[in-house]
Amino acid sequence: MSIVNDLIAASETLPRSGRISDERYDQKLKDHVTRLRQLLSNNELNHVAHDESLLDQFDPSKDSITYLFLLQLQIHNLRETTSETFPAALLPLGKLWSRSAHYLEIFNPVQVRYAGHEWRQLIELVVQAAQADSKPLLAARLVKGAMLRLDPSCAVFTSTHLLLVQLCLAAKAYTCALPVLEKPIYHIPILPSRSPFRSLQSLCAEYESSVAFVNDTTGLSSTLNSQDYLQYFLYGGMIYMALKKWDEALNYLGTAISMPTKGPISMVAVEAYKKFILVGLLDKGKTCSLPNSTATQVVKTLQSLVKPYLDLAKAFEQGDRIRLEAEIDAAQGIWSADKNTGLVFQVLNAFCKHSLVKIKKVVASLSVAELTAPISPFQGNLSGITESQIASLIMAGDLDATLAHSQLHSSSSILRFKAESLPLLFHENEAHADLQTQGKLMEGLFGSMEQANHRLGLSDEFIDNTVNRQQWPSAGGMKSEMGGATGLEMEEDIMGDLS
Amino acid sequence: MELPLSIQQLSKLAESNVSPSQLFGILSQYEADARLVSAGCGSPETGSADPELLSFFYASFFFAHLLTKQIPEARALTQRMPEAIRLQDPCLKNCLILLRAVWQTQHAQVYQILRNLQWPENLQPLVRRYDSFFQDQTLISVSTSYEAIRLPAAAVYLGLDLAAAEQEDPTIIEKFTQCGWKWDSETKLLHPTPIIVPSTVQKATNGIHDAMAMLGNRGG
Repeated sequence: MSIVNDLIAASETLPRSGRISDERYDQKLKDHVTRLRQLLSNNELNHVAHDESLLDQFDPSKDSITYLFLLQLQIHNLRETTSETFPAALLPLGKLWSRSAHYLEIFNPVQVRYAGHEWRQLIELVVQAAQADSKPLLAARLVKGAMLRLDPSCAVFTSTHLLLVQLCLAAKAYTCALPVLEKPIYHIPILPSRSPFRSLQSLCAEYESSVAFVNDTTGLSSTLNSQDYLQYFLYGGMIYMALKKWDEALNYLGTAISMPTKGPISMVAVEAYKKFILVGLLDKGKTCSLPNSTATQVVKTLQSLVKPYLDLAKAFEQGDRIRLEAEIDAAQGIWSADKNTGLVFQVLNAFCKHSLVKIKKVVASLSVAELTAPISPFQGNLSGITESQIASLIMAGDLDATLAHSQLHSSSSILRFKAESLPLLFHENEAHADLQTQGKLMEGLFGSMEQANHRLGLSDEFIDNTVNRQQWPSAGGMKSEMGGATGLEMEEDIMGDLS
Repeated sequence: MELPLSIQQLSKLAESNVSPSQLFGILSQYEADARLVSAGCGSPETGSADPELLSFFYASFFFAHLLTKQIPEARALTQRMPEAIRLQDPCLKNCLILLRAVWQTQHAQVYQILRNLQWPENLQPLVRRYDSFFQDQTLISVSTSYEAIRLPAAAVYLGLDLAAAEQEDPTIIEKFTQCGWKWDSETKLLHPTPIIVPSTVQKATNGIHDAMAMLGNRGG
């Protein structure tokens, strides 16, 4: 037991005291991890691998490294002795599951930077165990909490991001993913040699950006490929779709579609484009433009692959309900195979709403009877709609109009579209909330841009490039040019929104 | 989360005055426990799933979703409820009926479901709270959606006594005029005054100014 006693003694000195420098603490943690790895590889801890009380001797919040290694040892040992991938103790309700779950709730986020591989393996194990037991919800909450604990900014894309959205979709726990989805991703894990913080070697130091420690060597993310990135944005879009947050869904799907590609277009991007078309119709009543960064060739190829969706969108935009229904009927097999049937029926339901919104461009007011008459100037598109449905659309904020009952019950109510809607204050408050959100996003983006500029400015590639391209404008010149143009454009946009 | 999931704890929460978002946050943390209870790890006494506790938890959590206006997520919650009790438990069946009415904005049905269906005693505070919340939200929506509205129609929206409204009962009329609405006794129409809910954020113009200043600083 002397090894265990040694570990307990070492564990007690592991929490950081205020005086120790980053360099010394860094070395201490590195040494500790090296020793633990050595003990495990030499099987020197095998005699305690069955001892359930062993973990009780370590506090996972103070020594997250020893606890993690010993937990993994016990899990590995249990799997070997039972010859089962997921023995009962590992499944939800099991003892090792409970220990793992507790660990993920309270681990020390600085210490696990030194045991990134093991930390990620534990996350993956918890996910697999929950899925094997058909309880993805339990893992979703743990993974979300662990991600935010490790890196509250979640600004570096990791394999755990993808796990989380997959779990949340499987568990139908959509809001669980939002605290992560709402945080913009600015980086993918890179080699430390390319890190803006490469001159700072201590993983335990405080960094402005998590890209300093979520990198290719710490193991906090598995190796990623472009498909992972695309899938994350597709699944993220699907989560927003489930919550009917259409703008955010369009943003996520658009990101999946517009990712630069050299080779053939990914099927994930094609799936995202199909959903992008339908969500555009649902939210805006039209096919939305793809992000400007989407390559023309990609757009052309995508359009050739989703013809039934484009035909449906065309019928929708032309306001032709009969054709829209025909298009929906004709391609039922396609919607079903693409798992988009529910979305397509939502599009059909949204047709009425958008037909009403379009009428606003033609008339200022009309009676509800005129609107719903089978033979009306509106091609019968609204023949089935009732006054209460119109009222519901207005009350939900989908239609900017008012209703006015008349004195006589026999007279139809008047629907009046608003030219100038609610008082400016109402819009100003909404605009302010939007501005606050956008302001935070922009602050993050500017911060990351500054880091990127700094990194580029220090890189060999940048210096070589500068030498080769003598016409490169001065940094000061660029700054003033960008600042003037950006500020002016934003102001005009804001005034446009408010008008 | 300090206390374990129990009927007593849920009853305290249902009766408390915690804000809807706090209620939602607290109950969110219990969902994993509920999932485990449904898997057979119930109270130490029974050692098995506890249908009464599960029903109370999921119904309370469902109302917490409605009180925080998370209707699509409330629908997702009904899909997460353990199948065995979702289709059997009368209270959760009521929740499904209520969800459909709320989803379809069937105001009269919503009040009818809340007031006439049998809800468990310990859930009553949340049922009443949602009734009041739904009424307030509808009053705000009607005030901005109608320029003029007949009294019975307005009464239906707010779940008031329809027969009394048709008789132009002064107490019904007063409920609206107290909100600044005008009653025209000649035309028998109510003229709502739009209710603008003040934003909880700080003065808007400061925010715009700050945002523009930030852009200026960053850009320049």
